[in-house]
Amino acid sequence: MFRFQRKARRLPIRMTSAISLLTCCIASLLCESANSQNVQSATEKTTVHFGTEIVPLLTRLGCNSGGCHGKATGQNGFRLSLLGFEPGMDYDAIVREGRGRRIFPAAPDQSLLLLKATSQMPHGGGKRLDSNSTEYQMLFDWIAAGALSPGKTDPTLQQIDLTPETQVLTAGSTLQLSVRARFSDNTYRDVTSMCVYQSNEPEIVSVDTNGLLTTGTQRGLAAVMARFGDQIATFHTVVPFTSDASLLEVTDRKLNELDKQFGNSTIDRLLLQQWRRLGIVPSEPADDATFLRRATIDICGTLPTIAEVNEYVADQSPDRKERLIQRLLNRPEYASLFALKWADILQNRGAGYSTSQQRAGTTLFAGWIRDSLAANKPYDQFATEIVTATGSQSENPPAIWYRTVRKPTEYVESVAQAFLGVRIQCAQCHHHPAERWSQADYYGLAAVFSRVGRKGGFADAEVPTDEIIFVKSSGKTVHPVTGEILHPTALGGRVLNAGPYDDPRAAFAHWMTAPDNPFFARTMVNRMWAHFMGRGIIHPIDDARSTNPPGNPELLDALAADFASGGYDVKKLIRQITNSYAYGLQSEPVPGNAGDSQAFARYYPRRLTAEVLLDAFSQVLEVPTVFSGGPGKLPLGTRAIELPDENIPASFLDVFGRPGRMSACECERVDAPALTQALELVNSAEIHRKLTASEGYAARLAVDGRSHAERAADVFVKVLGRPAQPEELEAAISFLSGESDQAEAYRSLLWSLLATNEFMFNH
Amino acid sequence: MNQTDGTLSSKRVGQRKSSTGRLHVSRRHALQIGVPLLGLSLSDMLRYEAAAAENERPATRRSLIVFWTDGGLSQQDTYDLKPDAPSEYRGMYSPIQTSVSGTVVSERLVHQARVMDKIALVRSVHHENGIHAPSSHWMQTGYFGPTLARNAAQKPSLGSVIAKALGSHKPPMPAYVTIPKSEAFGYQGAVYLGKAYNPFEVSADPNAADFKVPNLSLPAGLSSGSVDSRRTLLAKFDTLRRDIDQAGVMDGLDTFKRQALEMVAGDQMRAAFDISAEDSALRDRYGRHRYGQSALLARRLVEAGARCVNINTGNWDHHNDIEKGLDEHLPPLDQAIAALIEDLASRQMLNDVLIYCVGEFGRTPRMNGHAGRDHWSDCFSVMLAGGGIQGGRIVGASERWGGGVHERLVSPLDLLATIYKQLGVPLETHFNDASGRPVSIVGSGHAIHELL
Repeated sequence: MFRFQRKARRLPIRMTSAISLLTCCIASLLCESANSQNVQSATEKTTVHFGTEIVPLLTRLGCNSGGCHGKATGQNGFRLSLLGFEPGMDYDAIVREGRGRRIFPAAPDQSLLLLKATSQMPHGGGKRLDSNSTEYQMLFDWIAAGALSPGKTDPTLQQIDLTPETQVLTAGSTLQLSVRARFSDNTYRDVTSMCVYQSNEPEIVSVDTNGLLTTGTQRGLAAVMARFGDQIATFHTVVPFTSDASLLEVTDRKLNELDKQFGNSTIDRLLLQQWRRLGIVPSEPADDATFLRRATIDICGTLPTIAEVNEYVADQSPDRKERLIQRLLNRPEYASLFALKWADILQNRGAGYSTSQQRAGTTLFAGWIRDSLAANKPYDQFATEIVTATGSQSENPPAIWYRTVRKPTEYVESVAQAFLGVRIQCAQCHHHPAERWSQADYYGLAAVFSRVGRKGGFADAEVPTDEIIFVKSSGKTVHPVTGEILHPTALGGRVLNAGPYDDPRAAFAHWMTAPDNPFFARTMVNRMWAHFMGRGIIHPIDDARSTNPPGNPELLDALAADFASGGYDVKKLIRQITNSYAYGLQSEPVPGNAGDSQAFARYYPRRLTAEVLLDAFSQVLEVPTVFSGGPGKLPLGTRAIELPDENIPASFLDVFGRPGRMSACECERVDAPALTQALELVNSAEIHRKLTASEGYAARLAVDGRSHAERAADVFVKVLGRPAQPEELEAAISFLSGESDQAEAYRSLLWSLLATNEFMFNH
Repeated sequence: MNQTDGTLSSKRVGQRKSSTGRLHVSRRHALQIGVPLLGLSLSDMLRYEAAAAENERPATRRSLIVFWTDGGLSQQDTYDLKPDAPSEYRGMYSPIQTSVSGTVVSERLVHQARVMDKIALVRSVHHENGIHAPSSHWMQTGYFGPTLARNAAQKPSLGSVIAKALGSHKPPMPAYVTIPKSEAFGYQGAVYLGKAYNPFEVSADPNAADFKVPNLSLPAGLSSGSVDSRRTLLAKFDTLRRDIDQAGVMDGLDTFKRQALEMVAGDQMRAAFDISAEDSALRDRYGRHRYGQSALLARRLVEAGARCVNINTGNWDHHNDIEKGLDEHLPPLDQAIAALIEDLASRQMLNDVLIYCVGEFGRTPRMNGHAGRDHWSDCFSVMLAGGGIQGGRIVGASERWGGGVHERLVSPLDLLATIYKQLGVPLETHFNDASGRPVSIVGSGHAIHELL
């Protein structure tokens, strides 16, 4: 085969058919082991085109990846555009730069490009290419033909089609994908073996370099992306949980029962549809005590009291859940907890400033967010007031958003991530590797903010505070590469016209909050869904893109449409989610859904966030945390969820993942376990103080006249929100009776319950 | 190294080869190594492929001890003397011969002169900032980033990278320790690697008579008997089913809770930090001062499993009367470094421990009007020893009277690449920043092959 090709090189007319033949051979070889998908044969072509063949090849071989020659600084002096989005630059890099030594048309196999890639000469990236591969031959032919540059009349890549687009896969099966490229001259070519593939859930479905899918050890939904040149296509699949007939029957029976039981709740219906698709059984509904604790933590960031537990467990009315949720939404803690979430997203940052000067601002902004949430301000209004804010930061609190968000890049990235659910950062410097966003999209959005003006304000050596934000009559944004002046542009869409007396941000906000906006409502419902359900329908929540599809698109669409048409009512959205069947499920898996982490067939437990956890310690032990708040101390009894900014010292909060508010990404808040967290529990001064305070719960327990049994029973309800099991009570009593130091014995009992995962997690 | 201590090597964690030869990262391990599960980029995949090749390489035993010269150490008064320059360049110290013929150093480095055959110097380090904070970030992380106006850390420090990539040799000993505390203007942390990779701060002076590590000591009034009963009760009550959490957070916390209880109540950590267990004569050789005892403690900690111990020294910001400042700080630093080298060599450990003396920049070649020297990053010196570094080597040279790089410019990333290579951290390693973008640990840096 190898020799035949070399001959073909000298006979350009025969070469074409040789390559077509070869492609067919390879394609059929690839398909041998797979469900035989019909792989299209290549159509006639005469020359190797740089743009449509060589560049995609460099992508496939990894040459232009971000870790190698594609990074901004290149690698060892050889720099390609990231993933080949700038073919002109790549051509220059290969043919002209490096004193032209990278290719050698007179003896193509002596080209540095080929010698390095085949590792015949030392190459930091190792061997990427076999000298008897089709890829090698293609590069060889292109060089031999004189390394033709991308010409104006060259066909350009229009689209790639991936077949099949979607298919259910049974566990233990394989499937060969096939990809066909369409060019501007209306030719088609099979590029299956020339694509780059990635699975978003390799444990469910993995994909090899030739597009062969293999199911993995886990079940569920997965998407596989194929990239060829600058085009992307995505394959969607489901690997059902249940395959054998007897289990299938049980699953069906269970799901049919639910079908009868469910009313017309959209969420319940659409999740049921998903469970059917996945052949998965949901867990059992959680008991009342568990649900009370769960909802109180998720809505109010607070533990239920002993009285609340007793009352709720005794309540047998059918609407007790609904009434509970409504009660919780009316409590001030609801606004505090969600104000904390929004202050993270809106980067109400305290660090980096002169504390005494800036805390007034962070406090104002935090208060404005809290008031907006308490009043259930429509979400479109909330977002608009922030994005279009003008005036003095001491008089119009949403203008304080413009204090940490100061530069074009920050405007773009914060708005895109907070309100549009899109990570567009990549497109600042290069075309987004997995989405359609280009630098023109990025800077078009930046242009929306090009007329934001600032005056006044106090500035020490650092960032000014208390400025006045106004709209300048002019201001421009230029494309960093082309130098073109860009008009304010909606993301992925139309130019937003604004005269010198109009605020382009207003036009942008109008576009953003329109009910048919493809991003705005979806981002918010997904964000709230993730808050309560432990995972977004799109996951991660602020990374919407075609290559990261929603797990349940019908559900996301339905929720978003309802939210937008219903006046962006946030509390209503929360009621819909928390009243759903799925929100009330146990977290314990049942046979038939073990391993589920994306179908919401059970409640996914998560560790209490830093602030909620610290408050929970304070609540149980009845000793508030003392926070220093800049010039003085914050009022005693201030809860961690009420802190105005992240710059209030509290090592407990830092080790448990309080975010630095450096970006609009909720991912900054992490729940990764760490040794320092455990040390904080075991021997921190703060926990020790709360346990030993003379006026605290522990001290009072020790001198309380009741029996050990009564006191221990209280302790369990207070800490874990449920009555003790008989054997737990017995263990506690036997420990307490055996200790001489009663105060220390009660402290140890409390500590050991506070350190359990049952306490530290919402489950 | 177990799979839940959260401080595992990126090349080993949670990866397995599928039948197709592609490496996979499980959800649980993705959490630990910080790779977002969705949107694995191509470079991630390449990294895993590169890491797969690394799997064949045996894990290195090496650790790193850094002497950080906070404020900026004068190169021309220490490792790069200019005896033939005019006096305002030459400074106040005379050169002395060392154990390497032809290499001279400052007369304030008598101890290091004795072991110069085990020391390598780089005299041509260069970066382009002259302000403490941004320069500290540059030297600690390899990257320029924050400015005075936007001072938040942007990249992880070398210690955090090592902690994340290699983990501790022997948990619960932390992988990354700073003595006495973190300095370098806040740039000795983990940033987007996660707080788990921030340094463990000793927070006490190892030379103090009552030296005790606050974080390892029980709060006043809490007896170790109480800790034991708490541990017993916790085991009894902590019965929530672990299979409800697929993300591995519970497993991780369980492990860390056991470790933490072990640290405060067990013997391993207490023993490692018990510097009084050292022979008194050896303690004298290191010097009865903070630098000497910190160096000795660092040796104990790497023996007990730490991967990177950073000793913060100084301050070396001698704008005025530099002679007074150096006369105070140089002799103890010199004694500590030399004693550490000799001690490690006598224990056959020098090949396993890399010693690195570095600050954010050097100081101006020409003295100022206050008999001091100012900030200078155009060309300055660092010291390396052990860990497979070839002793006696000099890399690079400054200009005749100092000032610029005369030959072999070495960048901050080149230094980090050298250190990572010697410690066995794959240079292809990328970690995702907060936006999910993979960032190389060495960027454009290359290991300094002349040293290896």
